[in-house]
Amino acid sequence: MANILKGRLSYHDARDVLAATVDIVIFAVATAGTYYAQIWDRPRSAVLVYIVGVTIIGARSGLARGLSAAITASVVYNFFLSEPIFRFSASSADEFIPLIAFNVCAILSGALAGRLKDSVKLARAAEARNAHLLRLSDELQRAIRISDVLRIARASLPFQRVLDLDIYLMRDGTLFPADDDSASVDPAALLAGEPPVSIAGAEARICALNGSAGRIGFVRFVLGEGPAPGSDMPDLQGIANILGLAADRCLLLERLSESHALQKSEELKTAILSSVSHDLRTPLTAIEAAATSLRSFDDSLSAKDRASMLATISAQCRKLNRYTANLLDMGRIQAGIPTFMFIEVDVGEILGVVLASVRESYPGQELEKQITVDSAIVRANPAMLEQVIFNLVENAILHGASSRPIFLVLTRVGETCLLEIVDFGPGITAEEQPLVFNKFYRSRATAHRDGNGLGLHIANGFTEAFGGRISIVSPHFEGRGTKIVVELPLVQAAHGHVGAWE
Amino acid sequence: MDGMKILLVDDEQAIVTALTPVLQSQGYRIVTADSAAAALQAAEQAQFDLILLDLGLPDADGIDIIGKLKQLTEAVIIILSARHQETEKVRALDEGADDYVNKPFGIEELLARLRAAVRRLRTPAGVLQEKFVSEELVVDFALREVRLMGEEMKLSPKEFALLEVLCRHAGQVVTHRKLLIAGWNDPHADGQYLRSYVALLRQKLEYDVAEPQLILTEPGVGYRLVALPIQP
Repeated sequence: MANILKGRLSYHDARDVLAATVDIVIFAVATAGTYYAQIWDRPRSAVLVYIVGVTIIGARSGLARGLSAAITASVVYNFFLSEPIFRFSASSADEFIPLIAFNVCAILSGALAGRLKDSVKLARAAEARNAHLLRLSDELQRAIRISDVLRIARASLPFQRVLDLDIYLMRDGTLFPADDDSASVDPAALLAGEPPVSIAGAEARICALNGSAGRIGFVRFVLGEGPAPGSDMPDLQGIANILGLAADRCLLLERLSESHALQKSEELKTAILSSVSHDLRTPLTAIEAAATSLRSFDDSLSAKDRASMLATISAQCRKLNRYTANLLDMGRIQAGIPTFMFIEVDVGEILGVVLASVRESYPGQELEKQITVDSAIVRANPAMLEQVIFNLVENAILHGASSRPIFLVLTRVGETCLLEIVDFGPGITAEEQPLVFNKFYRSRATAHRDGNGLGLHIANGFTEAFGGRISIVSPHFEGRGTKIVVELPLVQAAHGHVGAWE
Repeated sequence: MDGMKILLVDDEQAIVTALTPVLQSQGYRIVTADSAAAALQAAEQAQFDLILLDLGLPDADGIDIIGKLKQLTEAVIIILSARHQETEKVRALDEGADDYVNKPFGIEELLARLRAAVRRLRTPAGVLQEKFVSEELVVDFALREVRLMGEEMKLSPKEFALLEVLCRHAGQVVTHRKLLIAGWNDPHADGQYLRSYVALLRQKLEYDVAEPQLILTEPGVGYRLVALPIQP
């Protein structure tokens, strides 16, 4: 009321004043009704009118207002409206029963109205809590890491009295903060923990985080002071349960991806071991057989047989050498190839080097080349580029048709150098094409032939390191044959016209 | 080989065991060392004509002792190195090594390197040969004349300068650096020029430019002329 006098009326004050005014009007109308009923000599109706008025006020405005209306009505009725007028008397039942009726009705209606109001208020608070929990659980659906859970939960704050929260997870029997794996926390200290001192009057509450297989950790809520102690206390365990479900899911996802990676590396290890045992043993067996034969039967062997055995030893040694080089190269690709190893290299020059060693390794193989550029300068490591081209040509020889030549085409298109290696073998099926660059992949059709499933993987890895790419066109000619295309970015000729000779 | 004396520096006993009898059968005298310290000690005690030096030694990087060996001896140093080690090869060659062989190597390859080195040793120091004569190629350094299969070839001065260095090191690798100094008097000149002039030389001297038989590319290191001079 002081506010009204000062001319400053808040919304709540205005509502209270309006409600009080309505109550006074109702009381006045009821008083007037009772008065006229008395004048028209209807005393029972008069009492009933007053009872209705008091009941309405009690129902509208609660127990206190209803009771004060009832007492006022008792006084007014007894003193002014009932005989003897201007005198308070309760000598007969007709005189005091209305007084009791007024007050009983006021108390009953007021109490009922109050309970109704309280339950409405409770229902509204519960609805707000539920809406909050629902929104929180909705947002937590998107969390895939524990850090997401923490971030989303914190973003929903402050909610009612909750100002902040921390999540602690059990890992191998030790408790860690969810956002810091390094600092372990003593569970006993956490349970007896003090809230952060920075928040005045704050208190901490610890709730358990439960997952599908029992307790996975704790959540610590930091609570501020509510509007009234005990009121507006959110359902902390409800929030903790939702967080627990989300955290549990994230932990499962983490474990799943870890075990997936582990399985991958186990598969790779198995592949390496089986490759090593096969690709090392086969040539070693041949070398051992040839060498022991030469030692034991030297006298009885013809010169031709001896020469053939020596050639076997030499060829198998070359194979072993290539294989170990391939394994090393695979490791280099896995470790990442630093670009400081790259210099300007002429692809044509390297092609010449490769052709010389291919002719040495595969003397019978026909090679046709078509070179339409004077120079094709790229940034690469020369030995690695040599390996790329050698592997691709060797692959074409191993998988091509033995009676047909391998075609090698070196051209440029715009700022790209193109090297095509073409064979006329059975080709690579569309299903196999994405797989041939995988480590240790061997085509089922040619698995019995030479090759260790590393050549194309290395060629592709090195080419990508040079900023280029390898693509496959197969079949490319009358339903047969494979064309492997190496694309490498050409170095811009920053040297002016190199053809300006003396 | 008139008892040319080789210091074989390698800590792999298997390689020493395999090489020693073969090299001895070719007339070389062999002394072995299995560490950098042993190699330096051997070089102090005796003079060698050739040193075969493995880069991976147990007590030091082979490259680091090249300089010291060069101070102790006039010997030709040939490096035994692994593939993919162009940077190391170039460093070793810059330090004073004369050539290299990639491991694993065939014995013919090693013997060819040794023969090329011996030829250079036979050339008296300070006396420049006037002519390079091989089966297919004749280069007269004084007259600046080049004949390929008897046919005279016209070379530009730079082409001739490059060919001269390659001929004087016939059978041995000549690094980009050495060639840039020979052609442009500048070891930091653009490698693109060198590639272009080698391409021009090949156009004049090679049967098939795409597959050179005479001037071979040593990827990342340099070039090697494989024409063998006929002994005068």
